[in-house]
Amino acid sequence: MKIPYSKQDQYVYTALRFFSLVVVCLLIAIIFQLFMASKLAFDEFGLSFVTDDFWNPVDDEFGALAFIFGTVVTSILALLIAGPVSVFVAIYTNEFLPKKIASVLGLFVELIAAIPSIVFGLWGLYYLAPFVKNFLAPFLKKYLGFLPFFQGSSFGIGILTAAIILAIMIIPTITSVCREVFKSIPNLRKEAALGLGATKYEMVKIAILKPSFSGIMGALVLGLGRALGETMAVAMVIGNNPVISSSLFSAGATMASVMANEYAEADSELHLSALCYVGLLLFVVTFFVNLMARTIVWNNSRKSKR
Amino acid sequence: MTNTIALEVKNLNAYFGDFRAVKDINLTYHKNTVNAIIGPSGCGKSTYIRCLNRIHEEVEDASVKGEVILGGKNIYAENADPVEVRKHIGMVFQKPNPFPSMSIFDNVTIGPKLWGEKDRTKLEEITENCLKKAALWDEVKDKLHQDGTSLSGGQQQRLCIARTLAIDPPIILMDEPTSALDPIATVKIEDLMNEIKKEYTVIVVTHNMQQARRIADYTSFFVLGDLIEHGLTSDIFTNPKEKKTEDYISGNFG
Ligand SMILES: Nc1ncnc2c1ncn2[C@@H]1O[C@H](COP(=O)(O)OP(=O)(O)OP(=O)(O)O)[C@@H](O)[C@H]1O
Ligand SMILES: [Mg+2]
Repeated sequence: MKIPYSKQDQYVYTALRFFSLVVVCLLIAIIFQLFMASKLAFDEFGLSFVTDDFWNPVDDEFGALAFIFGTVVTSILALLIAGPVSVFVAIYTNEFLPKKIASVLGLFVELIAAIPSIVFGLWGLYYLAPFVKNFLAPFLKKYLGFLPFFQGSSFGIGILTAAIILAIMIIPTITSVCREVFKSIPNLRKEAALGLGATKYEMVKIAILKPSFSGIMGALVLGLGRALGETMAVAMVIGNNPVISSSLFSAGATMASVMANEYAEADSELHLSALCYVGLLLFVVTFFVNLMARTIVWNNSRKSKR
Repeated sequence: MTNTIALEVKNLNAYFGDFRAVKDINLTYHKNTVNAIIGPSGCGKSTYIRCLNRIHEEVEDASVKGEVILGGKNIYAENADPVEVRKHIGMVFQKPNPFPSMSIFDNVTIGPKLWGEKDRTKLEEITENCLKKAALWDEVKDKLHQDGTSLSGGQQQRLCIARTLAIDPPIILMDEPTSALDPIATVKIEDLMNEIKKEYTVIVVTHNMQQARRIADYTSFFVLGDLIEHGLTSDIFTNPKEKKTEDYISGNFG
């Protein structure tokens, strides 16, 4: 027998159903609008828009490859920098610092997330860019200059600077998720490792890092999601030049940064539509990255539950 | 005579911050014996036993005063390395705690692997040996590569015992190892303790007085962090010197 809902329950239930429906409708509406807005560019360039790397508003010729490249490279690079740092900070604060100091440090890390994007951009422009130009780039060139990534000279702004800014911006996200993941590990498992004669570092490896693999992946995904879509700070320090170069010192542009930079000034219909097309692509890329990562996490957590 | 002494505890005090949970314990444990610790809940049994392999100090704000002499050396001496101590004094915890996302095989061999044992045949030998001793081999021999957490609670506890045996410590501490087990698994663990005392010295916390009677050569009785009485199990249970002990074992305590 089905127990009927009380009157009050029915109201609440209807309200909940309504609001969840609103969310779904909003998502569908946004995607639909994005499709409509980019239709003109899609009819003109088709799928080769994705593989062409020229972007020439003057002649109304558009291809987005350079932006896709910029977004992917800066985000991945940011993740490579921020991932290890965040995991390290999370481990250190959780396991090696007294609780009081740890929570203060944790608060500081989380405050980084509260800094507005534009402030990061300014800081990047006035402080980080000169630092990269005068110290980091020459240093990398000196010791790793044989690699194609560190060729040419740096003007300060460029892919590398953007990636570093992004890394700093996503560290709080990854760190705080990692800290939660590590905190959820019961003490008795850490003691199991220590009780077997593991050193503290071995304990961290066996009892914390290994079982947290999927949790760490989840944290990285969240960070990557943020990095892919980050707009303002990147637009300010990347140089906004849609070129594809193997050198990280070179200027570049990302999907988000080109939209921010050109949308207000785009005067041809096709240019506007091409920018929307870029937006659609960014959406698709973010969507698939999330999907892929979620699958990894899901597979992994299923495996470890068995 | 000295070579029959496995562990000597001198003026041992354990603290949580300012709270003194274990007070001035003096005890001597002999080799190849099973030693039970009984006492009402919260009297510091776990805290005490956790001092014996320096796990207690891993708790935030916890500290220890006193000496524990192992093989002529104080494990709390300034130059003593807790990691080294724990290789000689193994511990089975109150709750089974196998490592998740690690196979049964990996769980058992993690200790030897930590100290650099890489030889596969040797590791397999250790696994079979220790699982047999822990009375788990027959149940898991066909699924050594399954996750350790896929076992039942009682099997997990025996897995943890095997894991401790694998590091081959002369002294094994057990904190209520059977409190989560059914009677059959409990009997198996008790048999195991009886069996392994040929090679090891066992110190075991238990709430079950029948169990202490069955397995222990010596029994210590704790109340509120104090050691009330220690002696041969038969004496403690049939002829206790202290009134408190008598009350406790006859169920009239408090
Ligand atoms: N982490 C901790 N912080 C502060 N006090 C603690 C902590 N753990 C235990 N204590 C206190 O220390 C005392 C002894 O606790 P302990 O766990 O050693 O008792 P026990 O004899 O093992 O009890 P049980 O039989 O219930 O397991 C108790 O008063 C308890 O409240
Ligand atoms: Mg206890």
